[in-house]
Order: sequence, then structure tokens, then C-alpha cells
Amino acid sequence: MFRNYLLTAWKVFMRRKLFTAINLLCIVLTLVVLMVIASLLETAFRPSGVEGKSERFLQVFMVRMESPGGNRVSNTPLGYKLIEKYLKPMPGVERVAAVTLPSSVSVYQGPNVSELKLRRADADYWKVLDFTLLAGRLPTAADDAAGRMIAVLNASSARRLFPGAPKAALGQRIDVGGQVFEVVGVVEDAMHLNAYADIWAPISTFASSDYRKELTGMFTALVLADSAADLPRIRDEVARISRSVVHDDPKAWKTMRFWADGKLDLFSRILTNSGETPDSGAGKVLATIAVAMLLFMLLPALNLVNLNTGRILERRSEIGVRKAFGATSRQLAVQFVVENVLLCLAGGLIALAATAGVLAWLESAGLIPYLRVDLNLAVFGWGMLIATVFGLLSGVLPAWKMSRLDPVHALKGAV
Amino acid sequence: MIKLSKVSKTYRTDKVETLALKDVDLHVKKGEFVAMMGPSGCGKSTLLNLIGLLDRPGQGSVEVEGIPITRYRDKQVANLRNSTFGFIFQSFHLIPDLRVIDNVELPLLYRKMAAGERRRLAREALEKVGLGARMDHYPNQLSGGQQQRVAIARAIVGQPQVLLADEPTGNLDSKMGEEVMDILLKLNEEGTTVVMVTHDEREARRTNRIVRVFDGQLVA
Repeated sequence: MFRNYLLTAWKVFMRRKLFTAINLLCIVLTLVVLMVIASLLETAFRPSGVEGKSERFLQVFMVRMESPGGNRVSNTPLGYKLIEKYLKPMPGVERVAAVTLPSSVSVYQGPNVSELKLRRADADYWKVLDFTLLAGRLPTAADDAAGRMIAVLNASSARRLFPGAPKAALGQRIDVGGQVFEVVGVVEDAMHLNAYADIWAPISTFASSDYRKELTGMFTALVLADSAADLPRIRDEVARISRSVVHDDPKAWKTMRFWADGKLDLFSRILTNSGETPDSGAGKVLATIAVAMLLFMLLPALNLVNLNTGRILERRSEIGVRKAFGATSRQLAVQFVVENVLLCLAGGLIALAATAGVLAWLESAGLIPYLRVDLNLAVFGWGMLIATVFGLLSGVLPAWKMSRLDPVHALKGAV
Repeated sequence: MIKLSKVSKTYRTDKVETLALKDVDLHVKKGEFVAMMGPSGCGKSTLLNLIGLLDRPGQGSVEVEGIPITRYRDKQVANLRNSTFGFIFQSFHLIPDLRVIDNVELPLLYRKMAAGERRRLAREALEKVGLGARMDHYPNQLSGGQQQRVAIARAIVGQPQVLLADEPTGNLDSKMGEEVMDILLKLNEEGTTVVMVTHDEREARRTNRIVRVFDGQLVA
């Protein structure tokens, strides 16, 4: 029976080539948009590339401070003191890294001035993230302790400042906002949340050591666990620590709260501004994304419902004949749905190729700096799932409606 | 074989109500060849549709082999149509996308049967109507007479007990009509019950019994 469904579907598609092409175009356009989004989300939230260990690290990104009366609230990045004094000593973790958020700096290289993004990081940062070293070395704890004025460049910045192979940058000196650094390493470009920057320097290269005294500032902490199973315990521990932290000016700020979040939780917490509770709002965000995707599919699906109804209507006589010879309404509905799902799956395959093209263009166009995104098996699976849902969504209603046609009327060509 | 008792059928649209059949009693016996005649719009096709379970009566009952089917569900009616009836239509109703052999196989798709067995039976049915050499053609590559013979092959491939033919020669010239009639008579001789709607008195006289319909009622 299924073979026959396939055969009939193929014949129908081939006989109505224009209709098939319009249908496919509609499906492909919708799926390309959804799959590009799915690929970007996959790249952002799945452990991959430089953040390959992200399944076992958490981030402490923001401190939420509340005044004694509760009338003032401030959300601000962490200060180094908070990381050094409260998070680094935390037991039961592999390591805690401190890194600043990327900030724009002017880099002077001869007569040229470049605007680059600088992060200052401790040695643990290089052990939590998996940068690919192209030339030279990465900063060590000894560099940090000694306050060595060294820097690591990413490949694009190295190429821009010192044309040629990555090693051409090694040993060169650059002026970063008035401080001179020696380039000791070049790493591959990376766009991940915690890795995105053009240039990195040890924390101790700050012009002043005041940062060591601040509970709030411009840092984020990365807490690497021994295993993913430890994450819930670490979350609880960080929540407990946050309750024990007292602000330097307790009259101004009564409470300080911060949470250890995974990447999705962090994104959700920022998006939903959920700094008060352990719940990051990820559930709501995921539900919103799912609903938005469904709504996005709904419009073309409704269009397809129309097209499908028209297509099936053309086959009234066939419906009548099949019913006369023993087909049940259910069998006919399944036949029409299978046809539609097959069309959508074919559209899905074309969309996959088109998505690969769009992603390659996105990478090369530089709209998202250092974007590296691949169509992996998970995205392929999501794509096919979306295509199937799309096929069902747009096929079930017309199939159900038309399969219930009365055979006498169907044979007469009436509805 | 098939018994209709006090069957009435009314078609309703928004504004018009048309009484197609009124209190019809009809008993088609096994092995009979019945011709139904009457002017256009008198209810012949409606009667044939009721016999073939393509339609349900408004009032009265339809029995197949002594079993009333009034309360049968869609699936049961479909199964009964598949196992008991074969349909031949005036305008053939072949599926243009499918080859001749695939058209003929169609009734067997709705039975539990291996693909090879389906193909064998479809070939036999086509050979029986003299179209063994046209299996891979598409319907639009055949003449009207050949298309009707494909439709007959499709109707008989499942070895139904009853063949229902709605003006099977209506769209054919007299020579082709004669050929189709010969095939139906031969099938009837082999034991298949045939009920045929026709306008052609000559064809009707070749059958066992003529049922005349007028204004939704049987008149003879």
C-alpha cells in the first residue's frame, strides 16, 4: 500500500509540475528561514568549537543588587573581587576563570588605527575554553602573576595588523590604548559568547589594580565542573554564596544575588530579566521560540492548505473511483497526507542545500563576526522534523476534508 | 443477493428538494443480468448507487446476502464494496496518472494481498478483456472502447459477485458498444450478477430482466 502511495505521489507531482514547483518554493523558503535560525541556535547553545566543554561549565554573568527599601535595583557585571574572594575558593569544581566582557580599544600600528575588541582574562580562561592555537603560545598563570604585557590576537586581527602567516605577528608590539603589548600567540577566530574578542591580555595588565577591590565591575566568571552531573550542586552552591555576599556599602545595597547558568539559561535570564529567582525563564523562552516557529510556519501552511485543497479537488473523480472500489476515508486521507509530507520532505532536502548556501554566505558576508556554523546531523534532523510537521500541518485538513467526499458526488465531479 | 425494501431517496439543496426514488422494492437474484431503463433523471443511477452501496437510502433498507447494511460504518461499507461489487461507469473514470495495469490493480490495493499476486490478477483481467498488450499504456493512449475494457478489467479483477454498470456503452460507438456488451454477457454466463443502466432497448433485450424506472418508481 505504501509503495502505491509513493507511486501515486510521484505521478501526481510529475503531472502538475507548475503546482509542484510553487509548492516546493513555498516550503523551501519557509524551511530555509527556520533552518538558518535552528543552525544559529544550535551553534550558540550546543557545546561546540571553542566552547566544546560548555556542557560542564556554568557562567556567573550578572549581579542583581537591591536597595534596602527595594525601590532601587541594579544589574551589573561581576567585579574581580567577587570572583577571587567568593567563587574561586568554591570547593568541588575543576576551576573558575575570570574574564572581562569585550571592550572596544584603539590599536595603533604604525600610522594605522584599528578598533578591536579586547578581553582581559586569567590563565584559567584558556583552560576552560578550547581555543585553537595557530602560532605561539597562550598566557600562563606565571604571566598573570608577573603582570607581563603580552597579548594574544585572533587570526583576523593578526592578519589585519601583520599581513602574512599567523606567526608573522609573534614578537610584534602593539599599542593598545596607550599600553604596549607583545604578541605571544595567535588563535583561530571564534564568535562564541565567552570567546568573542579580537585581542586578549592577562588581567594583571590593567593600568590600575583597583579592579581587585571591586565586587561589581566588568567581569564574568566561568565555573568548570569535573562532570556535567555536578552542575546542579554548583548552581546551589553559587546561590548559597550569593546570599552570603555583603556589599561594600550595605546601606546602599542590601542584597546581592547572582546565579550560575548554562548558556541557554544565561541567554534566557538576560532576555527575561529574571535576576531574582533561580529560574532563568528558559522554559518560557523555549516555549516562545517554539510558538514563534509554529506561527511562522502557519502562514505558508495555510497557503499550502489552500493549494492542496485545490489540488485534491482536481482529483474528485479519483476519490470517487477509489471509494467505489473499497477505499475508506481514512485510507484516502493517509494517501493525501503522505503525498504532502513527501513533498515537504523533498522541500526539506532542497531547503537543506539552500540553508547550507545561506549559512556559507552569512559566514563570508561578515554580518555576524567570526561566525562558523555548520549544518550538522542535529540541524538536519530538526530540518526534517520541521518539514514533516509542516507537511502534516498543511496536509491533514484538506486530506481529511476531501477524503470525506461522498463517492456519488465525487464521481460526478461535485463537492 | 441484493434486496431493496421500501427505499426512498431525496436530494436536498438549499432551496430545492428532489425526490429521486420513492418506495422502491427490488430484488436482484444471484446470477441475474438485470437492465434498468427509463428516461433521464428518473432515478436509475440513484438506484444503481444504492445497490452498490455508494449512497445510502433516506428511508427503507438495503440487504446484501440477507444482511441489512443500514447501520454499517464507513469501513464496513468500504470492505463490502471492495469484496462484492465491481463498478463500470459511462465515462470510464480511469485515473489518468496511472498506467493501465496500475488502474486495474486499484481494487486489490484495498485488500491484504502481495504485490506480485495483485500484478498477476491484473494481468489476467486485462487479458480477459483483450488488452494484455496494453498494460503499460496510459489511459489517454487508448481509444474509448479500450478504456471501457480497462474499466471492465478493473471491475472484475477482484472477482466481485456483482457488476454494476452505469450506461457502459453510452460513450461508445455501436461496434465498441457491442464488444463491451459481449464481455458483460460472457461474465454473466460465468456466474457474475450484472445490473446495468442503459438507454438502449436492443442491449436491454439481451439481458434476463428489464426493470423500468419512471419518476422514481419501478413501473414494470
